[in-house]
Amino acid sequence: MLGDIINPYHLQIISFILINIILGISIYITLSSGQLSLGNAGFMGIGAYTSALLTINFDLPIFLGIILGAVVAGVFGILIGIPALRLSGVYLAIATLGFGEVIRVIFVNWESITQGSIGLSGIPHLGRELFKTFKLTGFDPDMLGLKNNQFIYLLVVLILLLVNILLVWFFIRQNKSRVGRAFAAIKMDEKAAESMGINITYYKVLSFTQGAILAGFAGALYAHVMAYISPADFAYHRAIDILIFSIFGGSELIWGAIFGATFMTILPEALRFISDYRYMIYGVILIAMMAFRPQGIIDVSLLKWFKKKLKLKRGGSLGIGTKKYN
Amino acid sequence: MRNSFKKVYLLISVLMVVMLAACSEDETNATSEKSGGPVSAKIGVISYMTGPGAAYGEAITNGFNLALDEINEKGDVKIELIIEDSAGKQDQALTVAQKLMSSDDIVALLGPTLSTEMNVVGPEADINGIPIMGTSTTAAGIPQIGEYVFRNSIPESLAIPAALEKAVNKYGAKKVAILYGNDDLFTQSGFDTMKAEAENMGLEILTIETFQKGQSDYNAQLTKIKDLQPDLILASALYNEGAVIMDQARKMGIDLPFVGGNGFNSPQVIEIAGEASEGLIVATPWFGEKDDPKVQDFVKKYETEYGHKPDQFAAQAYDALYIMAEGLKNAGVADRDALRDALAEIKDLDGILGKFSFDEDGDVIMEPTVLIIKDGAFQQFE
Repeated sequence: MLGDIINPYHLQIISFILINIILGISIYITLSSGQLSLGNAGFMGIGAYTSALLTINFDLPIFLGIILGAVVAGVFGILIGIPALRLSGVYLAIATLGFGEVIRVIFVNWESITQGSIGLSGIPHLGRELFKTFKLTGFDPDMLGLKNNQFIYLLVVLILLLVNILLVWFFIRQNKSRVGRAFAAIKMDEKAAESMGINITYYKVLSFTQGAILAGFAGALYAHVMAYISPADFAYHRAIDILIFSIFGGSELIWGAIFGATFMTILPEALRFISDYRYMIYGVILIAMMAFRPQGIIDVSLLKWFKKKLKLKRGGSLGIGTKKYN
Repeated sequence: MRNSFKKVYLLISVLMVVMLAACSEDETNATSEKSGGPVSAKIGVISYMTGPGAAYGEAITNGFNLALDEINEKGDVKIELIIEDSAGKQDQALTVAQKLMSSDDIVALLGPTLSTEMNVVGPEADINGIPIMGTSTTAAGIPQIGEYVFRNSIPESLAIPAALEKAVNKYGAKKVAILYGNDDLFTQSGFDTMKAEAENMGLEILTIETFQKGQSDYNAQLTKIKDLQPDLILASALYNEGAVIMDQARKMGIDLPFVGGNGFNSPQVIEIAGEASEGLIVATPWFGEKDDPKVQDFVKKYETEYGHKPDQFAAQAYDALYIMAEGLKNAGVADRDALRDALAEIKDLDGILGKFSFDEDGDVIMEPTVLIIKDGAFQQFE
């Protein structure tokens, strides 16, 4: 039954995909107002360490820990954002990359609290803690025909999925709102946007902070899914990985970040059968991508073409006019 | 225009389908036969085979494969290894561990390579009740993760005190200086042991200096150490940084012996630092020149098979598979829980590293060999 279909291996991959999607969106949001920030690995680390330390040392519930992790990352986002956003383009990228490294070095050196490069182990695990509460209420996964670990990972995936749906929904709404339009205007031309009466400092800090909050949120989730974090997890490799999610998938649309994160997470796993060569293929795909489709896989025109296709098909088979679907 | 989109879209969808299909390819393989005869079992291996640390993973898998052929030839147990790559990343190690654990006919896991990976994989294996044994995880606290977690690699807490004690006795050292890399789990954990042990032995610690991975200039730290005139320098470093440190120290006129941890123990040190490496003292489970037919036999076989001398990672992996085989033989069935109990019972097993036993946590009990670099080669230190 259900127990035969659900494989913890697949659930594990899906949960990483879902976390990476949040990271992908976090950089998409800053990119959508024309800022290239590479500090998201640092914000992710802040979120992860905040939540992990709070739940370990003060027995805070995980949900509260994760929210506080995101909030603290957001506060740092505002503090860093206000001075850093005087810079733009490559200069901003380098400044934020530097910020990320500073954060990592602080984790390494603040040994009394973060245990340095040994890392924090024994972080309460999202699924296992929930499982305990379920057990207390007398629920047994056997009732669904599931083993304990299947149930634990199913819970994790379901929670992450819910969070993802809410986030995507929120940001699609935002894109169509005054805020999203302001972001787009700033991205196109800062001066023109300012002359139209858009408070660019406010909106730039807003998008930067939203990115920081999301990255911190994803970091906190990561900590509670891995149950172990170390400063090396939040080095600049991570920042680059996150950037690739959005650039590969297409940075114009939120779907690009989602697709990029999904594809880039599945790819190394799917290429397992060629073992030693898999990262070579990964590299080749990235190069080919940048050469043939520098705007990313999914862009506005592809989405339009896809919608039109869909419309034509449905319109044709059901005999309904195309207007309804606009 | 439209055509090209079509093609791109088609390409993407085909790629995605292929990938999804590849994701779930396995698990159709035959299950282990249980009808009499020798126990046959599958063991999953998680190894670091792509990325900057791929050399470790390669040595480890070579060690496994060599032992595998011998064990299967002997015929007491039949083992099949399923080797997966973790790329040295925790998340990949965890995913691949899930993959291996979810297949019911895999009775045990070997690896992962790094202690950071083990910190993530260990608890998961323990919850799922599958024995897991690290062959290269030396950080403190690994076997204490749970009762299904073992290791056969000598932890720093065993190796460093042994080397330190011999060095202090020989040179009558009273004052030491410590130098360590603080951004790496391995060297950090080695430093913690060094400091504790030095305090324990009543040595005066003159200074503690730090450096970072990939640093190339150590003159600031070394000048300070030189001015303080210690009797001995304790360096918790990996061999690539460690060799450079020794080179610069000798150039500066520091002729003191160095005591290093497990990561400092590599023939590469002699290659990189040349004469400057003279006087490095390390404790190691593995000494390839040992006068033991078993060891010489292994070295010879390894060299003909892979074209170079085995290092300690290969040797530890080789012994680890023998420990697993012994456990399987004693358990009598290919069952995860039975294997765990049988592993915990293992005592004084003769391997190429020496006599091996597990303590009650699943950690190593073994006498390490202390070596010193002299006349351009590692020699036993008396």
